[in-house]
Amino acid sequence: MSLISRTSPASKLRQGLQAGSSPLLNWFMKIEGTQKLHAPRERVYSALTDPAILQRCIPGCESLEKTAENTYAATLKAGVGSIKGSFKGEVRLEDMRPPDHYRIVVEGKGGVGFAKGSADFDLEGTGGATLITYAGELQIGGTIAAVGQRMIEAAAKMMASRFFAALEAEVSVDLDTNAP
Amino acid sequence: MISTQFDYVRAQTLDEALTLLSQNEDAKILAGGHSLIPAMKLRLAMPSLLIDIGRIKDLSYVREEGDQVLIGAMTSHYQIESSELLKQICPLLPECAGHIGDVQVRNKGTIGGSLAHSDPAGDWPAAVIALNAELVVAGKSGDRTISVDDFFMDLMTTALEPGEILREIRINKSTRRTGQAYVKMHHPASGFAVVGVAANLTLNEKGACQTASIGITGVSAKAYRATAVESALAGSVFSEQSTANAASHAADGVDINGDLFASEVYRRHLAQVFTRRAITLASSRVG
Repeated sequence: MSLISRTSPASKLRQGLQAGSSPLLNWFMKIEGTQKLHAPRERVYSALTDPAILQRCIPGCESLEKTAENTYAATLKAGVGSIKGSFKGEVRLEDMRPPDHYRIVVEGKGGVGFAKGSADFDLEGTGGATLITYAGELQIGGTIAAVGQRMIEAAAKMMASRFFAALEAEVSVDLDTNAP
Repeated sequence: MISTQFDYVRAQTLDEALTLLSQNEDAKILAGGHSLIPAMKLRLAMPSLLIDIGRIKDLSYVREEGDQVLIGAMTSHYQIESSELLKQICPLLPECAGHIGDVQVRNKGTIGGSLAHSDPAGDWPAAVIALNAELVVAGKSGDRTISVDDFFMDLMTTALEPGEILREIRINKSTRRTGQAYVKMHHPASGFAVVGVAANLTLNEKGACQTASIGITGVSAKAYRATAVESALAGSVFSEQSTANAASHAADGVDINGDLFASEVYRRHLAQVFTRRAITLASSRVG
């Protein structure tokens, strides 16, 4: 299950102030959790680093195109209910050690605000399944952070659970088709 | 800020609204406009067409039918707050309405708009859960009825399909030996519920709790039924101890949200405190 919590230290708020904006307009959120997928680790690792699969799994991702080695340009139409926003940005995969570990770095902006952050993914094989442990931090700013602050956490949790549900479907479908 | 450009149609009938909705993927239904319009002015929502159902007359009513009370989706918060009928047969609804926003919001905002929007801190979702409401939804192929327990699905996500419009809320009239209450911690700036708890209790002839129905809003991505509190109350005799014990389960198994105003830990505490207050108040009103 995913667990997303805020970082509360005053240092984070000061960072926001030093960046020249109100702390209310910059929201730092810790993203951490674990997720078990019913597929072997190699399969999960290749899915998590496959742009075609990621594009299908990331809620609202319209395109994910390779611009350099492990670097992709992304367009996203994300939203909940009547609230929707379009985002453009870059996704970079770093520190890749298949099938154990990689880091994903994202940066994007749109009419309603911006988001940037990174997260480390660690994969652990347990029988035929894989336990993903992820941890990172996301910074959100602009209108969406200023007026939608009370909902950002719930929205992030919802996006994370939709992402992993889609990923689970992707990796398990593949296993079924390969079954003897 | 000013919203992006959009078309506007004032629907005369529900059928007209449903037809327009089915023809325009990017359309939004406009009820009282107290969530959608602010979102549009911030450009967080940019529908190409607004279908205004606020002037459809036969969507705004409160009436009795058999053992039920029927409330039209476009009934304003104020109409519910001031309804003498509801004060008699379902006092939880007027009490809840009185906690929403301010007078201006209550005059324009509607119960159906609020339920369909499903704001995680909206007041109505907690009340209709506690009242075990049924929601009647209109679609191109006719009406269907959704139990309130199947209606709220996730953050601002309901069981409404894209082409459907909520038309009516149905609630069983309260019987004898029933006590109801809605208590809330208002966010000091927005007036939204940091935590809101609706309690609907029925006692048996011996004075023990026969049924308990508790709805909680503001705590999680969506309003929820506090099933652990309900089962702890069932069969028990109300006392300070039994109430506190039941209320301690207010956020069991719930993914609690934190924000700048209230952390996860603080919200869990508030949920327990306000659940205790709601049960205490509701049980004191049993008559």
